[in-house]
Amino acid sequence: MHDPQQASAPNARRAATWRRYLRFWGPRAEADVDDEIAFHTDMRARDYMARGMSEADARRAAARRLGDLTQARAECIAIGSRRERRMTRAQLVDAFVHDVRFAWRTLGRQKAWTAVAIITLALGIGANTAVFSVVNALLLHPLPYPNADRIAFVYLEPAQGNNTGMSVVVLPGMPVIRAWKENARSFEAFEAYMDEDRSLRTTDGPPASVNVASVLPSFSEFTGTKPIIGRVFTSRDVADGGRVALLSESLWRGRYGSDPQIIGKSITLDNQPYSVIGVMPVGYRLPQAEVNVSDVWLPLDLRNDSAAVRLVGRLRPNVTMASAKRELEAIYARSSTEKPKSLGSTDFVVRLAAPSEMVSFRQSLLLLSVAVALVLLIACGNVAHLLLAKTAARQRELAIRAAMGASRVRIVRQLLTESLLLAGAGCLGGMLIGWLGLRALVAIRPDSLAELTEARMDGTTLLVTAGLAALTATIVGLLGTLQSARFSANDALKAGAISVSQSRRQRRLRSVLVVSEMAVSTVLLVGATLLIRSIVHLQTVDPGFDASRLYAVRLPLGREYTTAAARQAFLTEVTARMRRVSGVEGLTISTAVPPWRSFLIGALQVEGDPLPPAGATSFLDYNRIEPDYFRFVGIRLVEGSTITDTSKAAGQVVINAGFAKKYWPRTSALGHRIRVVYNGQGDWMTIVGVASDALTSGLMDDASRPMMYMATADYNEPAVLVRVAPGADPIPSLRTVVAQADPRLPSPNVSNIESVMQRSIARPRFTMTLLVAFTGLALVLAAVGLYGVLAYSVAQQTREIGIRIALGATRSEIASSVLRRGILMAAVGALVGVLGARWASKLLESMLYGVGRTDLVSFAIGVAVLLATALAACLVPVRRAVGVDPLISIRAD
Amino acid sequence: MPDSTTDFLKGTLDLMVLKTLSWAPAHGYGIARWIEQCTDDVLQVEEGSLYPALHKLEERGLIVAEWGITEHNRRAKFYRLTTAGKKQLAASRDYWARFAGAVFKVLETSPTPR
Repeated sequence: MHDPQQASAPNARRAATWRRYLRFWGPRAEADVDDEIAFHTDMRARDYMARGMSEADARRAAARRLGDLTQARAECIAIGSRRERRMTRAQLVDAFVHDVRFAWRTLGRQKAWTAVAIITLALGIGANTAVFSVVNALLLHPLPYPNADRIAFVYLEPAQGNNTGMSVVVLPGMPVIRAWKENARSFEAFEAYMDEDRSLRTTDGPPASVNVASVLPSFSEFTGTKPIIGRVFTSRDVADGGRVALLSESLWRGRYGSDPQIIGKSITLDNQPYSVIGVMPVGYRLPQAEVNVSDVWLPLDLRNDSAAVRLVGRLRPNVTMASAKRELEAIYARSSTEKPKSLGSTDFVVRLAAPSEMVSFRQSLLLLSVAVALVLLIACGNVAHLLLAKTAARQRELAIRAAMGASRVRIVRQLLTESLLLAGAGCLGGMLIGWLGLRALVAIRPDSLAELTEARMDGTTLLVTAGLAALTATIVGLLGTLQSARFSANDALKAGAISVSQSRRQRRLRSVLVVSEMAVSTVLLVGATLLIRSIVHLQTVDPGFDASRLYAVRLPLGREYTTAAARQAFLTEVTARMRRVSGVEGLTISTAVPPWRSFLIGALQVEGDPLPPAGATSFLDYNRIEPDYFRFVGIRLVEGSTITDTSKAAGQVVINAGFAKKYWPRTSALGHRIRVVYNGQGDWMTIVGVASDALTSGLMDDASRPMMYMATADYNEPAVLVRVAPGADPIPSLRTVVAQADPRLPSPNVSNIESVMQRSIARPRFTMTLLVAFTGLALVLAAVGLYGVLAYSVAQQTREIGIRIALGATRSEIASSVLRRGILMAAVGALVGVLGARWASKLLESMLYGVGRTDLVSFAIGVAVLLATALAACLVPVRRAVGVDPLISIRAD
Repeated sequence: MPDSTTDFLKGTLDLMVLKTLSWAPAHGYGIARWIEQCTDDVLQVEEGSLYPALHKLEERGLIVAEWGITEHNRRAKFYRLTTAGKKQLAASRDYWARFAGAVFKVLETSPTPR
């Protein structure tokens, strides 16, 4: 009898074999189920045939018996696919664990190699972690308030821009603020605040100067802060006249000994009693990062038109800054009849700024972020090179694995796993280095960057670090495996190991890596040199006046002295007392204290010129002085005399050389008349003298910017400039003298002008220090990279060098061939780097003083340092090449 | 065969499959035949229930499947009991015996007169 089984077997087997191949490429649940059911049907039919049915009948009967299996089939396939997916996943995990174990063993075998790679990565990642911690704290989370990403500062700016070189924040008047607060729908919260120094009466001594912040009752909710004890302000407090106060935790703990009974007690500010209703915790602060910590909080009354307040708001979700700005502008235009009256006809535009835009250190932080990113790139390049060298050395191992059936993907994955492990270790090291770096950064920060202490390594930082490490692993891994991905097992297994084409390709890739590192280092070097030269300029520049041993005593008289006569009398009295203080060599009075500036708002008109058009208003530097001011502070008069008649009628003015040169480049400025036009008016002043340019507005400023010195009969907020004998510390006695002259005044602010001037360059110097540090790091890494490539190629060519020596090549020929290669790579890198630096120095431009961004000297120094470093990195490989013993090297291998 | 035994079978199919496999590994058709023969063809195993049941048991880890060759040189999927399957079988068997006994008692007991 014909057995159907026999006939169908080869076919079935072929089908099954084919399916098995299919299964090799992926889960085949469907095929499995169909196979199984087909088998079942066949068997059933076979049974029927055994009972005597014909084949056709048997098949039909079997099919009938089985019925419709569609649903069962679908169910089985679903279960099967689910299982196969799970198994594939398990297989992947298994393969990964295997990869990791293998990588661990490989790395563990070459401890020195692994250590170098990990340290390199840790340095690169650590530098980024430290800088990112600061960026995160200052730029990304500048305010410790809820929903800080929707917070915007609101202020006005002159419509025609300003010529001061600083950002000018114009505070809108109260009517506008009230209109905004009531009508602006874009904001879910709109806060106004101000802060000022006031004197707090104490039981045991002179009044203390405290920082008093005034805020709306909603401010504590805005900041999400609750009092430690007591309660916060309510609108009732404002309606009742606002004679209540909140204390800061530090004031409460310090001055009031953490008195738990403080609630309800009275404190006296500027002779006004306030009742304490609560104590706010340390974190409670005004929205400006650089503002002093407030000691006392008072309720702000928006009905008070004389208050000059700052504004901050929280936008409603999904409202953009632009649309909020349009709304505020519309409201501002409607209430334009109530423009800030002190600002007259000047046009202003509404400006909204995210908190991060208000961070003054922003530019430096961006620069430093770029710098550390470059450092990390160099680190990546180095480790990629290390990996390449290792891959080359493992060529045979990899070839054997490939020959034994390991797929290319599998091998690349193995190498990626290794770089991932390296990066993981580098990530941990980087976190440690980043933490140390951040501490170092905070330790050497200038005092004015107090907000740096808010930088922390939080979850975000760690996440970013881990992300950087993963990115690094990918870059390094891919660079490192570029080779092996296209290597030929046949070539690699040939006797004599590495084929010529292979090694040439590797050499080229390695050279490209080193050249790139050199280029990036050059960019950093040029940038660092530019900053260094800029700082050197700032430290050695002649300020044009003598700041040594110069002190300024500011006397805010406006509050206690309401008439000009009273102010004048007090000034006479207090300066007479100061002159008698031992160590005081002399003094004068002025309104502007170096390095601060004061401005007149208006448009300058030279007599004979037409009236400036409305809208030409700008900010004009001026200072009100005594006639002896120039002699006293040491500003030379280049023409004419100082002010001889201080009366308003005489209208005498002294201008600086920059002013004279701008308006009278060829003739003398003396005798010309000028005036500051404001609202179409202004008194004419006659130029009686020209003073030399001086950096009284700060070392980082432009000395030749036009400046006017005028006399005044009434100082509203005068400063007494005092020069003392060397070695004298006049601050305590100056304070005492003021207290003796008027015990009601708070202790005055006394500053050492010389040190303030020096401190003003502390920030750029800080930026420079950090950039130099990162550049040093980059340079060392790049040098290590160059060294590595040369040392490796010398090691590879030992035999060739040996043969050349044996054939009569002199040592110097050998040396120069190695050196030539190293210097060539450095030189090409430097060339590319110079081009890059020319472009990148734009980032630096605003931070440079006395140095152009294309300063030839800086570029030359940068390139020279790079080449010198490269030369040093070449020395050891060169010596090794020269030291090759032809006998040993030729016999080797 | 649409009678009450079909429904009855569904609940006990798992148990019978496990029991069948406890003797030796078998393919789906073998299992079906074995059950039919054991019960003198009283219970006819429906393929529509058998294969989903097998796949579910496999998913639960009570049995494992392997492709193998039959005595007739055919490629077939063989199921084998795992250790977990053996435990499950023992537990279900005890439960089933107690359940069957209880049902039987109900069927055998005549109501007591009031």
